[in-house]
Amino acid sequence: MKAEYANIFIRSAVEVFQKEANVRLTRKDLAKKSSPMPSLPVSIIVGITGLLRGQVVYAMDQGFAFSVAKAMLPNKLPTEVRKLTNSAVSEIANMITGQASIALAGETGTIDLTPPAVLMGSDLSMDFLDIPTIALSLISEIGVLEINIALMDGKGDD
Amino acid sequence: MQKGIIVDDASIMRIRLREILEKEYAIVAEAANGEEALQMYNEHVPDFLTLDITMPQMNGLQALKSILSTHPDARVVIVSAVGQKQIVFEALELGAKDFIVKPFDPDRVLKAIHRLFA
Repeated sequence: MKAEYANIFIRSAVEVFQKEANVRLTRKDLAKKSSPMPSLPVSIIVGITGLLRGQVVYAMDQGFAFSVAKAMLPNKLPTEVRKLTNSAVSEIANMITGQASIALAGETGTIDLTPPAVLMGSDLSMDFLDIPTIALSLISEIGVLEINIALMDGKGDD
Repeated sequence: MQKGIIVDDASIMRIRLREILEKEYAIVAEAANGEEALQMYNEHVPDFLTLDITMPQMNGLQALKSILSTHPDARVVIVSAVGQKQIVFEALELGAKDFIVKPFDPDRVLKAIHRLFA
């Protein structure tokens, strides 16, 4: 996998979090893994097909997820925000992946995204793709965001 | 007051778009996927529709084709995170009136809808 994918996702995540949640993300770590299996309890999986194929798996803890939802819905009561937390984090994942896909697709390519799927800690029995993964760790005042990028060339996949 | 429908699989985005639009427009329905969008469109025949692309069951581009095949004058504004050049071209070629990339500014959404009736 190309190392430049990491920078594309970092830029997208920083921009989306600043705009949607007024949160400043900073890169902390970058590691290589054999699959995008997340290490934090709330994860959001976005599947990718087309010019590239694979998965991007975002992960965070529950406090981080609630803070994101609260920032996106400043006029809602905490009970309402709690109900909308999964929707908020899945939309944030959709926006980051969507922004990154603009750079990844370039002038002529097309990259299709699946609707995000949110999993909580105890549901992590699903199969993650066995694809070399770049694991990014980004920090902020509300906690850590993990982005696991498992992408490979998808040409001829159509 | 013109009638609109909001189509997005994320409830948080439907809430936010409703908050932006209902100051000036009557939001008569919401839909969470392309199939629901077709149903709601036929039921309400709105003056405009905001349409996400990445959705389960039927995506926004498929829904756009179906709606325009039966309602060629439909005013559809795409509101999507997937702003890749080829997808923007395809949506506009199919007949979408505008393409707003998420994350969006509320003013950008309002201006796009204002332009539909200018």
